[in-house]
Amino acid sequence: MGGPSGGNIMVDARDISGKQKQIAVSEFFEKNKHFLGFDSLQRSLITAVKESVDNSLDACEEARILPNIVVEINRLKGEDIELITQDNGPGIPRDAIENVFGKFLLGSRFHAIRQTRGQQGIGITGVVMYAQLTTGAKTRVISKIATDSSAVFVELGLDTRKNKAIKSKERREVWIDEGTGEEIRHGLKISTIMKAKYQRGKQSVYQYLRMTSIVNPHATISLIVRGKDGEVLEEGKWIRTSEKLPRVVEEIKPHPHGIQLGTLQRMLRESEQRKMTSFLRHNFSGVSVRAAKEVLAVSEIEDERVPKRINSEDAKKLIASFQKVKLLPPPTDCLSPIDDLLIKKGLSKAIDSRFASTVTRLPAVSQGNPFQIEVGLVFGGDISADGPIEVLRFANRVPLMYQQGGCALTKAIESIDWKRYGLDHPGGKGLPKGAAAVLIHLASTNVQFTSEAKEAVADNEEVFDEIRKGLLEVGRGLKNHLKKKDQRKKAKEKFELVNVILPEIAKKTSKILGRNEPDLAPVITQIMNAVFCEEELSWDKERKLATCSIKIFNYTARARAYTILLKWPENENVSMVENSNGGRKEARGIWAWRLDTLNPGTSTTISVALSGLSKGDWTDTDVFFRGNGDIIGATKIDEKILEEIRKSEALSAIRNEISESEIQEINDVETKDLEFDNEEEIRTDGINIFADFEEGSE
Amino acid sequence: MSGVGQRKTKDEVKEALKGIAAEMHNKMERGVPPSMTLPVRAKTNIGFDNKLGVYKYGKKKSTRDATSLGSARQLLRSLHVTEFIEQMIDSGKSSTLREMYYISEAWGHGKFGSQNESNNLAEDLEIVTKCLREDFKLRPEEDGARIIGNVTFEERNRKGDWMRINCRDDVGDSGYGVPYNVESEKLTLVEEDVDFIMAIETGGMFDRLVENGFDEEARCALIHLKGQPARSTRRIMKRMSQEWNKPIIVFADCDPWSFRIYASIAYGAIKTAHISEYLATKGAQYLGITADDILAYDLPSDDLTKQDLSALDSELTDPRFNTGYWKDQINLMKEIGKKAEQQSLAKYGLDFVTDTYLPEKLKEIGLGY
Repeated sequence: MGGPSGGNIMVDARDISGKQKQIAVSEFFEKNKHFLGFDSLQRSLITAVKESVDNSLDACEEARILPNIVVEINRLKGEDIELITQDNGPGIPRDAIENVFGKFLLGSRFHAIRQTRGQQGIGITGVVMYAQLTTGAKTRVISKIATDSSAVFVELGLDTRKNKAIKSKERREVWIDEGTGEEIRHGLKISTIMKAKYQRGKQSVYQYLRMTSIVNPHATISLIVRGKDGEVLEEGKWIRTSEKLPRVVEEIKPHPHGIQLGTLQRMLRESEQRKMTSFLRHNFSGVSVRAAKEVLAVSEIEDERVPKRINSEDAKKLIASFQKVKLLPPPTDCLSPIDDLLIKKGLSKAIDSRFASTVTRLPAVSQGNPFQIEVGLVFGGDISADGPIEVLRFANRVPLMYQQGGCALTKAIESIDWKRYGLDHPGGKGLPKGAAAVLIHLASTNVQFTSEAKEAVADNEEVFDEIRKGLLEVGRGLKNHLKKKDQRKKAKEKFELVNVILPEIAKKTSKILGRNEPDLAPVITQIMNAVFCEEELSWDKERKLATCSIKIFNYTARARAYTILLKWPENENVSMVENSNGGRKEARGIWAWRLDTLNPGTSTTISVALSGLSKGDWTDTDVFFRGNGDIIGATKIDEKILEEIRKSEALSAIRNEISESEIQEINDVETKDLEFDNEEEIRTDGINIFADFEEGSE
Repeated sequence: MSGVGQRKTKDEVKEALKGIAAEMHNKMERGVPPSMTLPVRAKTNIGFDNKLGVYKYGKKKSTRDATSLGSARQLLRSLHVTEFIEQMIDSGKSSTLREMYYISEAWGHGKFGSQNESNNLAEDLEIVTKCLREDFKLRPEEDGARIIGNVTFEERNRKGDWMRINCRDDVGDSGYGVPYNVESEKLTLVEEDVDFIMAIETGGMFDRLVENGFDEEARCALIHLKGQPARSTRRIMKRMSQEWNKPIIVFADCDPWSFRIYASIAYGAIKTAHISEYLATKGAQYLGITADDILAYDLPSDDLTKQDLSALDSELTDPRFNTGYWKDQINLMKEIGKKAEQQSLAKYGLDFVTDTYLPEKLKEIGLGY
């Protein structure tokens, strides 16, 4: 499908084969190679790797296999380069090999509406074609499926007139792994020779794979590049940080808000239904019986009309009425977000940093197309602090490497006032500077690009707004992190002062003067004159528990009483298995303890342990308090916001119940109760909302 | 010791140091953070003392108390240093500031972060206790000056014997090396046959005047300052001026830093304003090179840098330069935007300085020969 742009290519290519025109596919390729990604020697190599790796990832995902992908690039004589890619995917059945490698834009992908990587490329056939056109080389394929006893070894070329693959030297044999000497049970290996150029830098195969590994934390990917004498020029290995495969995405029907006249007419023409209401209900998502009736009423079309016979005048009326009638949003389970925790893992696998904040926004809809935004920000560590931040753009898990400046994702980053969040942003224009990298992932059934090259996302208000919201969230995370770091440093210094230096001073003066050591408690109270809170997150290796201990020190002259609240990553899989002080749940992800009176000069410690997390999942949290007098190291809780969390919690509970049943069939439920407005979406995990408050109070 | 308070006995020094510990201890007993009170050591807190004729610290005080980690560390260090000095006094040893810096390695949380910190702390203790660094048995690392000319000192050597040294006849070309302690227990001014004492900023110019025999020709003693003069250098000039009643003439480069060298000799340095009356020579005169000289002698010159300009601006608000003469010189220098070295006089030959420049300049101030 791939939306309007993908559709156009499809039509072109099919026209070529379908109408038997005497235009060779090679000519089509030659004419369009700039947007097929084969316009320069450098880019051709990246595109070839990309087509192959995307296929491997998609295939593994469908077959529920954790992917291991190896990319090998060998420089041969002249500008010839040998590209070898191998995966542990399901393999391709013998009879399907010709179609997969020999047909442009093989059909099935283009009918269903769901999120796939493949929507961005022309497929592996382009690679076979490019190799054949530039070096005349055949593409060698080894494919093994688990149910066959041996692998298929075959060489492929293309009959460019018939848009068909030509097989040669086909044989069946047991496929032995060269490294381990063991038989390979399933997988695919492709090797070919093409004119290309290996280059390092921002636009390189290395960078492409690095980025791919970030958004595919479940994949292990390795790269080796060798020079003409077999010497290793570049190497990379990104090992999976998650065993969790992306979930299988559902295919959905198009939503009326995103439909264009041509498509509607085609759908009408091809429809089997006899009545208009059933046509609308069965071919679209988000259309209930009632809504279908309303659409027909507004467009003044009788239900009894046969869809096949609807003329273009009436089709136009239908399109217009789609905008007037209230419709359910399209289902969003056709999207496959990476998940914020996994992005964090992916980022930390590729970039060594001190702080990482990631956000997965709830799905939203733009013009009938469901989409979802994920944003990540890493800061500090090994990241270079000179120059602009690194931007990592992704559409449906595919890295976007070109046209950064013209991309809506970049523009969204540039639209934020980063100075407020602790990054250098000279003049508030362009990209901010500093030791940070920002990741943006747009998952959508229909990613709209600025051009056929599909390297820059086109401007879209809803998408832009969602990205901004995500960026603000991670930005606030960064700001909190920096503020906390500063507070922590100050608190640490004070602790050293009263616990180490001051007693030493007292010891020394007593010794020099031959007098008794003074009682330091009142001195300490006067120096500190505050209540301090120190939280420490750690990992209990033995018991596989994430632990948190919160220590509260009262260094004031008065007794204090507080309720301490802790933010914790509560969800179905994570539970609090140990809790020293009892307390109670305040809201989802917020636990509260009412402390006994804390006398001057005393301290108390709360400790909890969580199960269901793995090491590195819980590295940052917030502690809040309720009560009089500030606590250094904790934030005063805003009750109004707490109330909002509870409300949104209730809301999402209702929503979950509904999504479990078939939305299409609930006609007796008031539609407006079900419609959730994306603008007002409140996330329930708490983090960001508190930050919102903090900002508002400035 | 003329001009300086009575030198203290060992016990008095120890008692004074104990006062530091007592201030801290008493505060802690009263339940407040320990502290140490010091005058503000900046140009905004120095004023002219009419009685002494030099610049001294004013009334602004700063309290260093243990409410921040840095200050608390300083207090702890002060106590360690106090203890260390007591030990040295008791055992009759002395150490350099640098040695103390290394010794502080063993002081745990009281160790110094840098050599500079130990130098500053030694000065802090002087100020608070009204003792001299010499009383603390702490020696500076810095080089003392060199002197050539017909003046005679007696210096007590390591064996405790007094040695008589004439700075013209008993020394080589490098002159008499001034020891770090030039107090009466170590050095006596015996006799002289000179008309004035000339302090010279750079080694190159000092050697030129020695080679040209200027000390005998002009009947003067030459002192090489080695840049910003050490305390002992300023102290011996002060003594020569006072005990022999000889004028002190300063001959330096023409740049803002040289002006500060002159000010530290004539009025007292900001860092050591607590002992200005002991180190500064009231009435020391600046001979050159002046901004006027750059124009009058058409000397080869360099452009003022940004740092030079900001140093000049800072001098314009420094009370020590608040005189018509210095304001004119500084403003003229800013106007022409140039600075010149002493050795730029060599433009007119090696003897020009001794044959022409110095005689002319000395005549202007009534020291013609």
